[in-house]
Amino acid sequence: MKEEARSAECGVRSEVSLTGEGRSDGGGPRGVAALRVCELSYCYPQGQAALEKVSFSVAPDECIGVLGPNGAGKSTLLLHLNGLLPDRLPKEPNIRVDDQPLVAGTIDLIRQRVGLLFQDPEDQLISASVFEDVAFGPRQLGVGGAELQGLVGRSLGLVGLQGFEGREPHRLSHGEKRRVCLAGVLACGPSVLVLDEPSSGLDPRGRREFKALLRGLPGAKLIATHDLELVVDLCSRVLILDQGRLVAEGPTLSLLSNEELMLAHGLERPHSLLHLHPHG
Amino acid sequence: MKYETGCTALHRASPRVKLVAALILVTGTALLPRRLGPVYFAPAAVLGGLWLASRMPLRYTLRRLLPAQTFILGIALLSLFSPSARPGFPATVTKSNLCILALLVLGWTTPFPELLQALRRLRLPSVMLTTLALMCRYLPVLAEEARRMERARASRTFSRKRRIAWQNLGAILGRLFVRTADRAERIYLAMCARGWR
Amino acid sequence: MHLPDGFLDAKTALLSTGAAAAGVGLALRQVRRTLEPRQMPMLGLAAAFVFAAQMLNFPVAGGTSGHLVGGVLTAILLGPAAAVLVMTCVLMVQCLVFNDGGLLALGANVFNMAIVNACGGYFVFRVLKGVMRMEKNRATVFAAAFAGWFGTVLASITCAGQLALSDQSPWSAAFPAMALVHIVIGVGEGLATGLITMAALRARPELVAGTGGGVWAGMGGMGGMGIMKQRLAGTGGGVCAHGGGFLGYGLLIALGLVVFVAPFACPWPDGLEAVAKSLGFANQSAPPLIKGPVSEYRLPFISSMAAATAVAGVIGALLAFVGAYGLARFLAPDLEAAKKDAPRGSNFEV
Repeated sequence: MKEEARSAECGVRSEVSLTGEGRSDGGGPRGVAALRVCELSYCYPQGQAALEKVSFSVAPDECIGVLGPNGAGKSTLLLHLNGLLPDRLPKEPNIRVDDQPLVAGTIDLIRQRVGLLFQDPEDQLISASVFEDVAFGPRQLGVGGAELQGLVGRSLGLVGLQGFEGREPHRLSHGEKRRVCLAGVLACGPSVLVLDEPSSGLDPRGRREFKALLRGLPGAKLIATHDLELVVDLCSRVLILDQGRLVAEGPTLSLLSNEELMLAHGLERPHSLLHLHPHG
Repeated sequence: MKYETGCTALHRASPRVKLVAALILVTGTALLPRRLGPVYFAPAAVLGGLWLASRMPLRYTLRRLLPAQTFILGIALLSLFSPSARPGFPATVTKSNLCILALLVLGWTTPFPELLQALRRLRLPSVMLTTLALMCRYLPVLAEEARRMERARASRTFSRKRRIAWQNLGAILGRLFVRTADRAERIYLAMCARGWR
Repeated sequence: MHLPDGFLDAKTALLSTGAAAAGVGLALRQVRRTLEPRQMPMLGLAAAFVFAAQMLNFPVAGGTSGHLVGGVLTAILLGPAAAVLVMTCVLMVQCLVFNDGGLLALGANVFNMAIVNACGGYFVFRVLKGVMRMEKNRATVFAAAFAGWFGTVLASITCAGQLALSDQSPWSAAFPAMALVHIVIGVGEGLATGLITMAALRARPELVAGTGGGVWAGMGGMGGMGIMKQRLAGTGGGVCAHGGGFLGYGLLIALGLVVFVAPFACPWPDGLEAVAKSLGFANQSAPPLIKGPVSEYRLPFISSMAAATAVAGVIGALLAFVGAYGLARFLAPDLEAAKKDAPRGSNFEV
């Protein structure tokens, strides 16, 4: 009883909310953005600006790509979305998830709603077994016992790793580790998935499989990546960050075909678009 | 850290019971009188029985006992210098080996994560439990990193001098420490991202 | 120096386990009090680091190789309280999984290697670093190298004392054997400690304790990002024990020396027996803690070994001093420049 109440409070119904659908609080009407960022700025303690007045929004079923050269601030932005930065949240929230503001009091709720997948799965897989690791998040949310077993099993099934519960993390391949991390994030029932370089270090088959996996997941997605082909395949819109500023925002095809724009910001036109007319 | 997936009753036994039993056995054996006598049969029989029940291969057992003999004999030999302690030599060596056998059986039948659970139920402080868990999880990762750095260094080292080898090792470990500190921070962030407080 | 089971008798095992428990308890209290949540994972990672470091082969002579223990190194990098915890965990796993060191002897091993070695070595490190008139980073390397040697030798002496107290072997045999071996082994440990400290200083000076930072001050916010903030907030290095904590470990080590070493090393056994009695360690009815000179001095050669070892120890210390100085002076380049480098940027430069 107590577990259920606590789960409902955090907005997760463990039996359905693996993908953010069927949320107990409804998740807001269709028109509300899943994620809204308003004039977000951040300075390193040394004084350098890392983000300058970044604003954008993500609709509930949209997949957005975040591109930019190294040092543009992509990872810093992602850390903000989960409330990991800044150390002290401002009273005036810059970020809203499902219309919930990100302030000191709602940080736990936001962390559950925004599932962040880190660049190196090694840093995210902290437990001695796959089961323990996927269960880590739901346990914090109060899920336990048979319910937890079922949730972990379903999460692993979603990422194609059925039966991996007893495996040890350091014996998994890179792709498998990444999928376990994804399962661990999905198990918390997020409404927005934020991924930092999801295809890095994967071999071509791993990339294809992970891409198919991501394509199959409903809900809002934000992907920070250098993998332009991935962006072309999965994302309907892209944001281009450079030196902490949002320099361009628009539909994937038109932005990525704009060679001048891409080269100006340390990127390039992806090969799959080389033969495509910019307006076609 | 080797163990066999549970096939015997010992494997299936509760890790807490096994740990406490090991402690009792070791304590009892270690405190036996320093003279080989019939009283030694009791622990020897118990441990022999447990060893058989655990189905630990003989070769494995001997392989693990052998390196320990250097230390055991090395220290036990010191007792030969004192006429009062001298007669205790064979007893000490026997005792020591019996105790190691007890821990070998424990290790064989209990994978480390289970031992950690047992330690948790025995109320080991949480700081130490987390430390032990993270240590075992990340030891292979760090070992692999160290190996990679060694290989990279070796590919650019053209001298066989010991001094160079030591300097390289020092540099590798220094860098490994820095990278470890950074990794620890990233782990903290990843834990927080999933709700850890 | 891992003592297997079966060597220590009941009273010695009890005494050393008690001392170890006190030291670990002290360390736990300090760590809980001073460590922030963001620094907790570092304890586990540092333990993995020590283990990984212990697996590397340091070529010695011919085909042999030595291995680092790392107690003093850990204390230099993390401060004594964290080092005690880290080394205790390492020793626990070595005992339970690798059967290196006994279960009943774990208390003695923890006392010797986590407390005497790490904290004693750290104390010497801080003292030397403070008094040496050298450029700061060079002084750190020098102090680290000597402390590495010293900690090893000191731990071997308490270990010998524990063996003697257990009546397992006479002091006159145990002390020379253990001390002489470790006076030699300690050279490697000191050298490795100095070299690794040097490399860490070169890479990230703020991560080394005693430079006014320590890994606890150097962490905090994605590699370089939080450094400034933490450094202003931190004092002389977070978990690095000052005042009370320091005193605690020092007291424990002193007690250990009194109980395990003094009864044998001191030429006035009667006076020490009185001291031991007043501290409650000696029982009127139990056999005397201090063995009479008769049984041990039967072999005159052996009896003078203890004195010879003491002399060897002093010579070893002088050599270690000179060696550490040489290491710092000639091999450690001017590390001043490293301080002026701006702290590293974010690890997440994407």
